[in-house]
Amino acid sequence: MASTLTVASPRRTDRQHLQDALFRGATRAFAIGVLVLLGGIVLSLVVGATAAFGTFGWGFLTSVAWNPVKDDFGALPAIYGTLVTSLIAMLIGIPLAIGIAVFLTELCPPPLRRPIGTLIELLAAIPSIIYGIWGLFVLAPFLQLHVQPFLIDTLGEVPVIGPLFDGPPLGLGILTAGIILGVMVLPFIAAVTRDVFLTVPSMLRESAYGVGATTSEVISRIVLPYTRAGVIGAIMLGLGRALGETMAVTFVIGNAHHIRVSLLAPGTTISATLANEFSEAVGRLYPSSLFALGAILFVITFVVLAAAKLLLLRLEKQGTR
Amino acid sequence: MSADITITAETPRAPTLGRPIVRPQEPAVVAQTSPKVVIKDVRFYYKGYEALKGINLALQDKRVTAFIGPSGCGKSTLLRVLNRIYELYPGQRATGEVLVDGRNILDSGQDLNLLRAKIGMVFQKPTPFPMSIYDNIAFGIRLYERLSASELDERVEHALRRAALWDEVKDKLRQSGLSLSGGQQQRLCIARAVAVKPEILLLDEPASALDPISTQRVEELIAELKSDYCIAIVTHNMQQAARSSDYTAFMYLGELVEFGDTEAIFTHPREKRTEDYITGRFG
Repeated sequence: MASTLTVASPRRTDRQHLQDALFRGATRAFAIGVLVLLGGIVLSLVVGATAAFGTFGWGFLTSVAWNPVKDDFGALPAIYGTLVTSLIAMLIGIPLAIGIAVFLTELCPPPLRRPIGTLIELLAAIPSIIYGIWGLFVLAPFLQLHVQPFLIDTLGEVPVIGPLFDGPPLGLGILTAGIILGVMVLPFIAAVTRDVFLTVPSMLRESAYGVGATTSEVISRIVLPYTRAGVIGAIMLGLGRALGETMAVTFVIGNAHHIRVSLLAPGTTISATLANEFSEAVGRLYPSSLFALGAILFVITFVVLAAAKLLLLRLEKQGTR
Repeated sequence: MSADITITAETPRAPTLGRPIVRPQEPAVVAQTSPKVVIKDVRFYYKGYEALKGINLALQDKRVTAFIGPSGCGKSTLLRVLNRIYELYPGQRATGEVLVDGRNILDSGQDLNLLRAKIGMVFQKPTPFPMSIYDNIAFGIRLYERLSASELDERVEHALRRAALWDEVKDKLRQSGLSLSGGQQQRLCIARAVAVKPEILLLDEPASALDPISTQRVEELIAELKSDYCIAIVTHNMQQAARSSDYTAFMYLGELVEFGDTEAIFTHPREKRTEDYITGRFG
């Protein structure tokens, strides 16, 4: 055997070396291609935004102006809307998603597990434009007629948080956008959380049940701490989607460039502004300001992802300490 | 070493010279200490498959009963019936009676969490909870008792001392339980089981994933704990069964083939299959 190998090898190994080199080169080119693309996108954002940042400076980040006629632009309302709608989405999405994951992994009767899990994943497959239509024609009127008047009458009267639920019930606004986003990120967080819950070794769960813990104790004290890195990853995935989501938000947020304390008031987000206004942006500063908004969104998402990575690294360190 | 001494010194049983004539084993066993657990005609089903085919057996209090047999013979399954942990999985069910202090724990009225608090279980692989060493022990205690901080400290220390782990971890109680070595983790799990003051300890191959030194420590620990608990241990290690148990049950294909004094089983097995298994001539 060994002798035939050495006899047959010279030509054969040459060919293998060539194959390997080609393969290595090709895969490397793919990987580098992605980096080049990323660099190009960043570059075009920066170049496009130069005029806006050159004119307004850092003041662009803190200005609430948005006046195409006078060529005066500021990013704050869009940044505010982006962050607040995402926050509302997380407040709604995270508890529901974790609840669903717990139910699916620990409590659900086995024959129902797969159907319910699949349906929740299907929720993620609905195109965002559909969410937008549903939000505009179904959710917004419903909120306007039934939920918002109630919120205004109850929470609106509470001291400190009252102003958040002040004003007329318009249906469209920050709160509605946040709710839609919450529903949209829910399946992502739920599906990933379910998968990480399933990685908990059955012996670990049995040990916890074995000392007499109840299901809720096992989940809150064992399963969640054990999987927290994965759960945080799931939440970040959802947050990333909420920050960048465009179509559904554009439909229901009201697209108003101002900051109101009330969550019932219309507002805008970065992505909604971009989607709405690029087609009509003329001149030098208007499109450049939109590019600048895009760059800001890029930075926000990047910071969120980086923060998540850092958090996970710290958790890992604690775990192996 | 200490294990052997305690077994021979404490086990009040007629000296068995030559082939024992104690053919009806059960009465002889019952006479020694009170049976803590009486298993009557227990059958166990995974979906349609019958994994236990009518087991009858008694576990004595303050004694160690070893379960041996080839993989898949049902010994771990039997252990899992005793604290009803199998109920976490749909499609698994047991019939028959398991009397603990005379009460049938397979009754549907039995409170599972209380039952499991009373019956500690240690698994093949160490399963420290994802929390500090201290909290690993305190977890079970906090579930059922309201203790002051100092009382809790005491209980934790006591449990860790019983598991012969205290000296190794007393300076790092706040560190994660996962930071310990495998052998230490397993003793941590034993300490955790002991901390809730159970009456019965179920050990499912507790040393199979450990190195020889850790194994020896776990065995010493079993000998030590015997004075307070009714212990059932599943093992693949013949020497371990011979060294650390008072009674041995040999199971094969879901049936209890032979049950009796460990010494008798290992020196004069009555069944051919038992003899084949313990001498390694099996299959």
